[in-house]
Order: sequence, then structure tokens, then C-alpha cells
Amino acid sequence: MSTLTPRMMNWLARFGAHIATASKSGYPTTIVVESATIEEGKYVTYQLTDAQRDQIAANIAENPYVAQAPHAIAAIRAAYQFKGSATLEGNSLKVEIKEIYCTKPGPEAALRLDVLGMDQVIKFEESRWRDVGPPK
Amino acid sequence: MKMNEEMLNALQSVGSGGVVVHLTTCSADGVSNVVGERFVASYGDEHIVIADMFAQKTKVNLNENPVGIITVAHPTKARYWAFRGPCTIIMWGEDDDYDFHGVKAGEVLREWGDWATKEPPSEVPPDIRPPALCQRGVITLKVDDAYSWFPNESGKKIL
Repeated sequence: MSTLTPRMMNWLARFGAHIATASKSGYPTTIVVESATIEEGKYVTYQLTDAQRDQIAANIAENPYVAQAPHAIAAIRAAYQFKGSATLEGNSLKVEIKEIYCTKPGPEAALRLDVLGMDQVIKFEESRWRDVGPPK
Repeated sequence: MKMNEEMLNALQSVGSGGVVVHLTTCSADGVSNVVGERFVASYGDEHIVIADMFAQKTKVNLNENPVGIITVAHPTKARYWAFRGPCTIIMWGEDDDYDFHGVKAGEVLREWGDWATKEPPSEVPPDIRPPALCQRGVITLKVDDAYSWFPNESGKKIL
């Protein structure tokens, strides 16, 4: 399962993410995009500014695999990491999610969630968090 | 590269008025990893330290590719900063005299090696507080480069 849960989508859509890119030789560049749109539960699209596009275009061209972690208060409330393959078309960065991790510190750090079924992941979330997204 | 006063003051635990950050690392062949970190502080005026609470992939990545980026996540308050530079984990058991870009292992471990005791996360709500806080060492980044992540000027040098 590389499908995002409703809770993941709600936090990611509202606050966007820190998007970590790297050159093929491992030199990183991270940008921050403050909202996102999600389609079919696994395609996350970010609208970049010209400056953001210019900053990461070379990295995406040679190494499209990126990591994302929710921004702002979601960095605390929604401790997830999403990895996947990105395509850059104009100023639109579209990421197909391939891996999902819990990044809550402690014994659950780096727990891989995409290998579980959706029901199990939702149960996991319900046992650890009281919300299903940011406050309205 | 020396950070300015505003940066030095902001880089402390969020419970003390500081910030939550994200730490980016990547493998030698370019697979990125980015995780949120609450236990953060400036160390001197050229380094940033973070508690290593068994950050698994971070350790693997830094072992083979010792470079990282720290980006401010919350609260931003116009602090659109990204700090990049050599990065490692100084672990308990390291020789006191081991020197990482000007940071002595013994000194940084004595000051920041038991963060939960020094600055307990008392402001963190129960549902997101880690059940146990065990620290393996101190992630240490030497600031070589700093840029803005503010969307319209992303990548602009700020130091």
C-alpha cells in the first residue's frame, strides 16, 4: 500500500512539505512548499515558484527520487515521511508516493507504513493520534 | 560561517521559544531522507546540534555521506532559513578529543548528550510525546552555507 490515509492527506494538503532533493552524487537541496494537492491518494502535486523550480530542476532531472515531510505545525503533529518519484513540468512538481514512514521519535521511528494494509495503518494512526487532520 | 544573533537565539528547543526543524540527509547515491527534530540548539556560532534519538536512516546516510541540511519548520515567524554543511553523529563512546569541524566530542556530549533531562519536553501534548526518550548521541552540523527557503526567493544566500 503506497496510498496515503485521509489523515496524511489532510495534513499534507493544508501545510505542504519540506521536499528533499539531491544530486546523483548525494549533494542535497531542500525546498519548502506550503500547500499541496493530492490525487488518487498517491500523487502529490506542489506548485513551485520560479525560484524553487530553478533551485531543484537539475537535481530532479538527474535524480527524481525525493523525500517529503510535512511543514509547519504538521512537523510535530503529523510525523510522517513520504518518498517517491517526482516529475517537474513547468512549475508543477508531481510526486508519486512509493514509501511511507512514521517518524515519531522513539521505538516507532522509521516504521515503514506502506507495507501494511490501509486498515492497519488507520488503526495505527487512531491508536497514536487524536485528530484526523489539522483544525478547521 | 557564523550565524547571526537572530539565528542563534531561534535555534533552541521550541518549548523554550525556539523552533522545530527538519533535517535532510541523503545516501551516497542520492536517496534523500527528511525528518522533523524538536531537540535542536545552536552550538557556538557556527554549529547546530540535534539530539540523536536513534534516527536510523539518518545515521546510515551520514556514515556514507556526511552532509546535511537543517530547515526551520515551526514556528517560522519569517525565519525562512536552511543551513547546509558537514554533518555527523557524535555518539556516546566517542573519544573525548575527537574533533568534528571545531566541535570536541566530549564537550558536546557533556552539554547536550542527555537532552531530555536538560530540557524535558513538558509542553508536548501526550498524544505526540515519545513514550521514552533515549539518546544515542548528538547530531552536529557545521554551517557552511545558508539560504532562504522563502518560496519567492528560495535558494538566495542569507549568510
